[in-house]
Amino acid sequence: MAHAEHAATPPAILQEVKPAVLPRAVMVANNRSFSWITEKICGIIEGKTPTWWWVCFILACLVASFTVAGIAYLIATGVGVWGHANPVNWAWDIVNFVFWIGIGHAGTLISAILCLLRQKWRTSINRAAEAMTIFAVVCAGIFPVFHVGRVWYAWYLFPIPNSNAIWQNFRSPLEWDVFAVSTYGTVSVLFWYVGLLPDLAVLRDRFYASGNKLRSALYGFFALGWRGSNRHWSNYEMAYLILAGISTPLVLSVHTIVSFDFAVSLLPGWHTTIFPPYFVAGAIFSGFGMVLTLMLPLRAIYRMEDLITQYHIDCMCKITLATGTIVGYAYAMEFFIAWYGANPYEGFAFINRAFGHYAWAYWIMISCNVITPQFFWFKAVRENTSFVWILSIFVNVGMWFERFVIIVTSLARDFLPSSWGYYSPSIVEIFTFFGTFGVFSVLFLLFIRFLPIMPMAELKAVTPQADVHGGGDHH
Amino acid sequence: MSSTHAAIASAALPAGSSTAATASKALTVGIVGLVLTALGVAVTPDKHGPVMSYLVGITFCTSILIGMLMLILIHHIVDASWSVVIRRQFEHALSAFKWLFVLFLPLLVLAWVKPGFVWPWMDLGHELHGHGTVGTDILYQKKAGFLNLNMFTGMTLAFFAGWVWLSARLRKASFTQDLDGDIKWTFMNRQTAAFGLPIGALTLSFAAIYWVKSLEYHWFSTMYGVWFFANCIRGALAIGVIIMIWLWNRGDYKGVLNTNHFYSIGMLAFAFTVFWAYITFSQYFLIWNANVPEETFWYNLREVNHDGSTNQWWYVGLVLLFGHFFVPFLYLLSYKHKVVHSKIKPIMWWILAVILVDMCYNILPALKDGHGDSLPFLSLNLLWVLTSVVGIGGVCTWSYLKSFPTAKLLPIRDPRISESLTHHE
Amino acid sequence: MAAPSYGLIATFDTTPDLYHAAEKVRDAGYRHWDCITPFPVHGLDKAMGLKRSIVPRISLCGGIAGFCTGMSMIWWTGAVDYPLIVGGKPLFSPMFAFPVSYELTILFTAFATIGGMLFLNGLPMHYHPVLKYEHIRRGMDDQFFLVIETRDPRFNLANTKALLEKAGGKNISELEA
Repeated sequence: MAHAEHAATPPAILQEVKPAVLPRAVMVANNRSFSWITEKICGIIEGKTPTWWWVCFILACLVASFTVAGIAYLIATGVGVWGHANPVNWAWDIVNFVFWIGIGHAGTLISAILCLLRQKWRTSINRAAEAMTIFAVVCAGIFPVFHVGRVWYAWYLFPIPNSNAIWQNFRSPLEWDVFAVSTYGTVSVLFWYVGLLPDLAVLRDRFYASGNKLRSALYGFFALGWRGSNRHWSNYEMAYLILAGISTPLVLSVHTIVSFDFAVSLLPGWHTTIFPPYFVAGAIFSGFGMVLTLMLPLRAIYRMEDLITQYHIDCMCKITLATGTIVGYAYAMEFFIAWYGANPYEGFAFINRAFGHYAWAYWIMISCNVITPQFFWFKAVRENTSFVWILSIFVNVGMWFERFVIIVTSLARDFLPSSWGYYSPSIVEIFTFFGTFGVFSVLFLLFIRFLPIMPMAELKAVTPQADVHGGGDHH
Repeated sequence: MSSTHAAIASAALPAGSSTAATASKALTVGIVGLVLTALGVAVTPDKHGPVMSYLVGITFCTSILIGMLMLILIHHIVDASWSVVIRRQFEHALSAFKWLFVLFLPLLVLAWVKPGFVWPWMDLGHELHGHGTVGTDILYQKKAGFLNLNMFTGMTLAFFAGWVWLSARLRKASFTQDLDGDIKWTFMNRQTAAFGLPIGALTLSFAAIYWVKSLEYHWFSTMYGVWFFANCIRGALAIGVIIMIWLWNRGDYKGVLNTNHFYSIGMLAFAFTVFWAYITFSQYFLIWNANVPEETFWYNLREVNHDGSTNQWWYVGLVLLFGHFFVPFLYLLSYKHKVVHSKIKPIMWWILAVILVDMCYNILPALKDGHGDSLPFLSLNLLWVLTSVVGIGGVCTWSYLKSFPTAKLLPIRDPRISESLTHHE
Repeated sequence: MAAPSYGLIATFDTTPDLYHAAEKVRDAGYRHWDCITPFPVHGLDKAMGLKRSIVPRISLCGGIAGFCTGMSMIWWTGAVDYPLIVGGKPLFSPMFAFPVSYELTILFTAFATIGGMLFLNGLPMHYHPVLKYEHIRRGMDDQFFLVIETRDPRFNLANTKALLEKAGGKNISELEA
């Protein structure tokens, strides 16, 4: 068995050679101690509820009530209250579904793929990003579930024996979606919870020490008796790595299956083989847009500049740039192959997207998704936090329009001009979608109030003093 | 760790000159391979087989080099650390791009001398099976702006120009940093990576479209470039591991590499195994499920004859499914199989072999009999594929070994060298 | 002390201190002992002489079970129990059965991984002698503990205490069982 020993210290020869020096960015700025991290993050939960939180929370509840009202009206009346009509029978509902699911993907990407790639900068944003994933999946799930019309039959989606003795059609991509999205939701919650375990134990012991027995018991119940044993950490870390390992193909598969909803059909503009990776890249792109949108205000409010440093923002901007450019590659390749394939219907679908009735949506999409991220080439842009935040909003808008362009333009121009139409949303649809931002915000506000918004254990592990050889640079 | 230090001391010196003998051996093997291929062309009555096999060989070798180029570019753009120890070997290998261009020239000349011999659309008079000629084919007429000899030539020249130029920039910056230790070379590499990645992505996609996909010019798939990319990276990683073990056994890499380098590159090989399967499955699946004749004919050629009987390519497809995905996937799941040299090496050779089969699967069915059925996989063509790969691969190896002593074994003044040498999980 | 003793606990302030102490305890041949750390300390597994975790094997079993469940469910419901031709597709094909089987593979792997991790760790266990230690809060925050249990065959109050002291442990005290 010929393999080398682990080399712990850099060889002395490097001191003679004098390699070029380019220090790594620090993950936790200002050389903060372990207990500073604990205090900073637990302090948010233990402190008094700030006024702004109440203001935001009430506002978010009000916005969320639009979704509740819209859905109640739909249940009472029927799915016809949405603006769908032949030939456009999928529209805002599926657009919103794909939009929200896509946003969720950055959370999994940060926690899983970046974990596998050993990108330590993920630690300060992964908890919030994973929470974002779960809440985004909740918002996404609303649309297909209520689109079935008689929502009380939604359980027909699962292979549960029913009185008709008929089974689900496993040849349909919509059935694959059921499994993909429910698996995604479940695994995301599990992954998030496993990450929370050690931090819940911290809160348990802190509330116990400060005499709040009730909250101590609550956090303690969910902490499962975690005691920081290294024998436990050993299994825990392995389990975490495996969860990261399986979440990576999971997140890819979820958006792949979402793309199958379209790509397995014969509709021009939908049936194209690049859809799976293109949808995944788009999802990550939109997800990072949303992470920036959420984290930049949090960073400012909680004075987290030492934990979410400029380096973190740089990294997120660069990923946004990279995935935005990949999406650009896919747009270009689709257009090229639509021409190269020489199928007149396919060609028409793409010309129609760019110059037809929905051209406005197409150009919003192109400018937000392909042009906006190009600003991130420039360091000055990445360092201007407010500007980055504004650009992140454009990314969110652009990705919503991407789904709109794909779904609606293809449906509105069917093969025969006799079945052409123009779709506009009804007010109920608009309200329902608007309200999901409230639903998302309510959940997110509850999260930042009651759970540690950053993984303390992981943050401590990336500080220099966590190194058993006494901090990397002393050699 | 004193042994580590001793070994590194030798690494700081120019790398061993003992590659000269191996280099000339590689060149000899390469020339023999090329001569045998030429002989194959001479002795085969229907010259198509050996020429197509040569296209397989050159696409295979080029894909590996493109993979190395892309890996270096990705390495720089993400400011990676552990891969510093292996990057230098890729940089040496990139020197072979110019030779690949020289070796591609015969195909380019052939395209002008005998248009339509390899790529049927180049000959407007080429008889299509039961559909008149290329020139009268509406599908060709629509694509003529892209599929014409001038575009093909110009684009192929542009691809190689792009790759040679990017390689030269990367090599220069990296080699010069060895001498002066100036940080500006790191930034130059990062810049190269920033614009090199889009260039690389576009050139490799269009190379795949022109060289391979257009053999069946009726067919189209937006995924094709991504499929080619997946193979490029897998090939480059496999060669990377083989070089690592070769240099370890030679003694150069003793004290340089540790278990975690093998673990990390093994993980990447594993990840791209999954990626390849994802891309290939998606492409097949979407076409299978939609079942539109204008797309499915490409897979039908690879599954059934005109009378409905299964042809050999069907089994090659299964070999790809199991050999290109399941075998490496299950094998590389194990930690031990990634870190023990004698265990990771065979799977890397295996991966290279199946990439070659994948290239055959994509190229050789373009050879057809009188019924329009693909000629069988098991034929003398496989011999010409092997001689081509040995020939072109031999020349690439020679180019790599010739470059090897011209720079230090490791980018010894790279700012991440220390992190790379102490790489841990 | 009237209550039976669970073991000895010692405090360390930095990771290198704990790391070197763990190496000493490992070399002294103890088997029933543990380190309490607020975060996973890299390299500590080796210092403690722990083997690579076996969680991956449990995960693999879960994954295989998930894949088989998916394939057999789709085959049975579609081709055996209620055959129905839809869209001209075969009654069963691994092609269209793949997406769902794939998702179930991942779902079952996740359950097996987490279940396996909790099982191997003996969690949930809301009561544990270590959790009764008065300074345990610091062990979740910024300090490191090393615990040697009395059930270890090599345990000997005086000698073990001396070993911990020599290893640099502070505040060495007995833990109530």
